[in-house]
Amino acid sequence: MGERARQALPSVLSVALSLLVCWLLIAFTRDADGFVTATSAYLQMMWGGIGDWPNFLGGAPATVLTRPIGEAAMKAALLTLTGLSVAVAFKVGLFNIGAQGQMLLGALAAAVVGAHVQLPAALHIPAALVGAALAGAAWAGLAAALRLYRGVHEVISTIMLNWVALRLVDNWLVVGPLRGVAEAGASITGTAEIHPSAALPRLLGDVSRLNLGFPLAMLAALAVWAWLERTRSGFETRAVGLGDEAARAAGIPVARRAGLAMALAGALAGCAGAVLVLGTEGRYPGTLGAPYGFDGIAISLIGNNHPLGVAAAALFFGAIRAGGTRMQLLDVHKSFPELIQGLALLFVAGRLIWLAVLRRRRAVAPALATPTAPTPEAPRA
Amino acid sequence: MLEIVNRLLFATLDAAPALVFAALGAVLSERAGVVAVGIEGMMRVGAFCAAVAALTVPTPLAVVGGMLAGAALAAIHAYLCIRWRSDQVVSGIALNLVALAGGTFLLETHYGPNGTPPIQQLTAWDWPALSSVPLLGALSGHAAPTYLALALPFLLQALLTRTPLGLRLRAVGDKPHAVATLGLSVPALRWGAVVGGGLLAGLGGAVLSTTVLDRFEQHTPAGLGFMALAAMVFGRWTPLGAFLAAAFFAFGNALRIGLASSAPGLLELVPQGVLLALPYVLTLLVLTLQGQRSRAPAALGVPYEQESR
Repeated sequence: MGERARQALPSVLSVALSLLVCWLLIAFTRDADGFVTATSAYLQMMWGGIGDWPNFLGGAPATVLTRPIGEAAMKAALLTLTGLSVAVAFKVGLFNIGAQGQMLLGALAAAVVGAHVQLPAALHIPAALVGAALAGAAWAGLAAALRLYRGVHEVISTIMLNWVALRLVDNWLVVGPLRGVAEAGASITGTAEIHPSAALPRLLGDVSRLNLGFPLAMLAALAVWAWLERTRSGFETRAVGLGDEAARAAGIPVARRAGLAMALAGALAGCAGAVLVLGTEGRYPGTLGAPYGFDGIAISLIGNNHPLGVAAAALFFGAIRAGGTRMQLLDVHKSFPELIQGLALLFVAGRLIWLAVLRRRRAVAPALATPTAPTPEAPRA
Repeated sequence: MLEIVNRLLFATLDAAPALVFAALGAVLSERAGVVAVGIEGMMRVGAFCAAVAALTVPTPLAVVGGMLAGAALAAIHAYLCIRWRSDQVVSGIALNLVALAGGTFLLETHYGPNGTPPIQQLTAWDWPALSSVPLLGALSGHAAPTYLALALPFLLQALLTRTPLGLRLRAVGDKPHAVATLGLSVPALRWGAVVGGGLLAGLGGAVLSTTVLDRFEQHTPAGLGFMALAAMVFGRWTPLGAFLAAAFFAFGNALRIGLASSAPGLLELVPQGVLLALPYVLTLLVLTLQGQRSRAPAALGVPYEQESR
């Protein structure tokens, strides 16, 4: 087994185990025919996530494919961006629990630029995205500055900044100064509608809400991967994350790398907010609702903090999220996708248990075959 | 004027215990070196299990059930973090996610989205002798957790600073290897602290559903666990400090609600959202001012390995 496969294996096994646990949970909370229901619920989830292939092959129009896939990809875009945000901070050794707050401010900035600035589409979308990225970066930068100059632990400061962002935005700005005014002069919930020139174009027509945000998120994952693996500053960033004393001794500007990585993390989370507002919501709604920022923590860790792993985990859980709504047809509760994700993270937290189990299996197998000749790769931990 | 102060104090004493218990639980766990981000999830299962249990057994017994549920979740945390040296923040966040999604699932499949049916609240104790005394009058008319929340911080402070066990618990959070050198078991001490913290967090949650409310609701505890973490940091990882911070947060909250109802003009001046953000901003400010001097336990978040030095 290659080094890379062994790194990814605990995550894959964790996800599989969480799927199994939830399958059992559905099965045992049913009075009769639990296992049949659970199985068909999972099938529904699959068709709802990757397209209803049986129906399509039976002659249904292509929308039975594009609609679910579009929904899944749309959710995956948000999960990718917040997951990358957490992953980038991790690479420099910081734990960004604040993706939610950074996303909130990014969404607000995108809504403001989208609604209150007049620009042609070619400039408007980039301007709104940059505004969101800057807002997110500033919010994350606050946590980074507190950490670097005052030693305030980023776990606590980002949790606090999440709450500050939520209270200031949802309980003040959006219901107060920035509240949108509808045609008749009546107030609406949320900020004003963005101009059409700021809306991210739809990719699959009106059938699905899939928009330009998805390819942008995938590009972001590739770009972050290339930056971390192929550039000097990316290498230095990882070096700081592996040990800041050694990095400092090697002449790497530790504070600058940490600050920039955290700002990038905030920018990515801010872009997630922009994709939500410019792509689907059209304004900052009364409340952002779904905790994509917190989901990003799970996605990043399940993706092993590797940009491409993050994208893979986001695609998978995007499909589960989109398919989860279809499970409700069978009276399976809507919080199952979240539960699967939470359990997967819990099992990932036990990464060392997986590694120990795998090692034991590997250690036993060659010993049975050739008791006297130790294989060269056996002792590798 | 006195009447208003009295009402504020009364509201504070009613609302504070949940936060106080959770903050004390966080202090216990973190002084032994194990990060307590999972407090929110432990409160949630505590609140849920207490509310469900109170549907069939007497409420005081149900509160104990909530404590045990919190301890059970803490035991998972301890197993992952102590036995398997998992990342403590990751484990805690995973438990929060599981408690959130699992609680929602169980609640809605069994009782519907509006929360559990109403339960018998813990009885409030009236002390007629006190209630006529100015200021002290606010002390009368609360349920048992309020009085426990007033006493426990002092007991825990005494335990941590005045007893051999407390010394060992603190040492295990600062220099676990030194504790091991004395022939004491680092894992056993940490297990005790984490599970004890879970008991307290579960109690905090149970208080929410049995005294503050009379049921478990979808959003319980609505971020109170994170406030407890803030109170712990604010109080510099000491039981008394965390208690004062938690009481301060609760008082601020009572003040905000009181002001919103009695002086609506103030909301014209200072928006509600800014008031709501204030405790968090304040916490950040205090942390910034304390800077490096805010003394987190030295081995906090560092998994203990016998071999490493």
